[in-house]
Amino acid sequence: MEPDYLATVLLSSVSSASILLIATIGLAVVFGLMGVINLAHGEFLMIGAYAALTATQRGLPFALAIPVAVVITMLIGACVEVLIIRRLYGRLFDTMLATWGLSMIFYQLAVLIFGTVTPGIGMPQFGITIGRYSLAGYPLLMIAVAALMLAFVYGLLTRTVYGMKARAAIQQPEIAQAIGIESARVNTMTFAIGCGLAGFAGAVLLPIVPATPAMGFAFVVKAFLAVVVAGPVALTGSALTAIGLGGGASLTASFLTSVAGDAVFFVATAALLWLFPLGISASWRRRM
Amino acid sequence: MFSVVNATGGYGKTVIIQGVSLQVGKAEIVALLGRNGVGKSTLMRFATGLVPAMSGHVEIDGRLAPIAPAGRARLGLGYVPQGRFVFPRMTVAENIAVAAEANGHDGRAAVAAALREFPILGPKASDLAGGLSGGQQQILALARALATQPRILLLDEPTEGVQPSLVDEMAGTLLRINRERGIAVLVAEQDLDFCLSIAERAYVMEKGTIRLETTRDQLRADKRLQQDLLGV
Repeated sequence: MEPDYLATVLLSSVSSASILLIATIGLAVVFGLMGVINLAHGEFLMIGAYAALTATQRGLPFALAIPVAVVITMLIGACVEVLIIRRLYGRLFDTMLATWGLSMIFYQLAVLIFGTVTPGIGMPQFGITIGRYSLAGYPLLMIAVAALMLAFVYGLLTRTVYGMKARAAIQQPEIAQAIGIESARVNTMTFAIGCGLAGFAGAVLLPIVPATPAMGFAFVVKAFLAVVVAGPVALTGSALTAIGLGGGASLTASFLTSVAGDAVFFVATAALLWLFPLGISASWRRRM
Repeated sequence: MFSVVNATGGYGKTVIIQGVSLQVGKAEIVALLGRNGVGKSTLMRFATGLVPAMSGHVEIDGRLAPIAPAGRARLGLGYVPQGRFVFPRMTVAENIAVAAEANGHDGRAAVAAALREFPILGPKASDLAGGLSGGQQQILALARALATQPRILLLDEPTEGVQPSLVDEMAGTLLRINRERGIAVLVAEQDLDFCLSIAERAYVMEKGTIRLETTRDQLRADKRLQQDLLGV
């Protein structure tokens, strides 16, 4: 096998793993800091994608459409937390059920508003060539975006007062309140940030993954599994599982078929959960 | 300056404490004594607002305390829970800083002050709190409560599972804090010696109510009372 081909396959696999990571981080934040699995995460991604799409159609440059998508998804996320999630803390399965129901509502709303087929936006045309092979540049750029996004969220949670409060509130909810942390406000913020990250993902990935009402579903299953396999050190763990599982699946897909790639993803997930029932990070001594 | 008035509360529909009233004066150290399961911890949690009131209320400085525990913390109520409950996946320094910041104080300054006050935490400052020994976690829980700059400190079984040398040190620290900063202390304990070494006055609980109020000297002299109420 020639080195050029190998390098191409490797790069594109890291790129698709990064895309999975971008889609996963918001879910990891909400699970890691609130103990809530947001099954509507994929639909927040979809809302972000549609928000960015609509903004660009109104003439806004794509780079400015991304923050618009983030703000919109954060606001919707804050409302969802206040209206639904906060009534269900500590009830993991109830929140999953509620957010699943919410995802169906968002999906139907998207179908009603936008229809099932929507025009994509063109992918920025730049790329690189390795020997005889050429790769589109934008998906490769996602490697850097994933790294920056991860660094930003890690810094937000470990270096800021908000981050400390959010971690305190999930680790000892009662004591956090008793020492003066307004857990309710912190949780609203955390959920909004998680949804905003999903919105960012939907917007930044829009050139690669066109906005459709069902687009969230494609991501949420793998993102959900990556977060579950990651375990309690949600952020670092999810980064590792998303890159590992996503990259492994993508590599397999390049050499065999995409079905084989998915099979590798799910078999590896099952094996890891069998080996580490509490997630791979259960015994790690890390903060996030 | 701090009082619990006619407190009735518990978990779900189960009443644990009934009609309990007590007061702690300014810069006073008061002990809350009683055997296991008489409702000391529930009373402490009632005072912080973590156990909702079925009836009765809490006053801080003669004013009705807010319902929310966070509001009470901001009015100067510090709490060291039984079993320590530090934030395990946060560093020692973060445990202290977050308590200060949550009450509008500078986190960095609070950490520096805490490490001066409790040198034992110094070498552990950037370790995760979950990895500390039981005694160190107890010190950290105390440092965390002090970082909120409380005027009344609620301590729930602070000596439980702590080695004797640290217990003496803790008594010394509490007395110093009380004297230097004028912080009032209400301490729920089973360790009578510890209480006698710091508290001037004590309430003795039995079956969810206050059985009697006594002074240190009375309690020290009355062996029969000790035997009867505390099983010591």
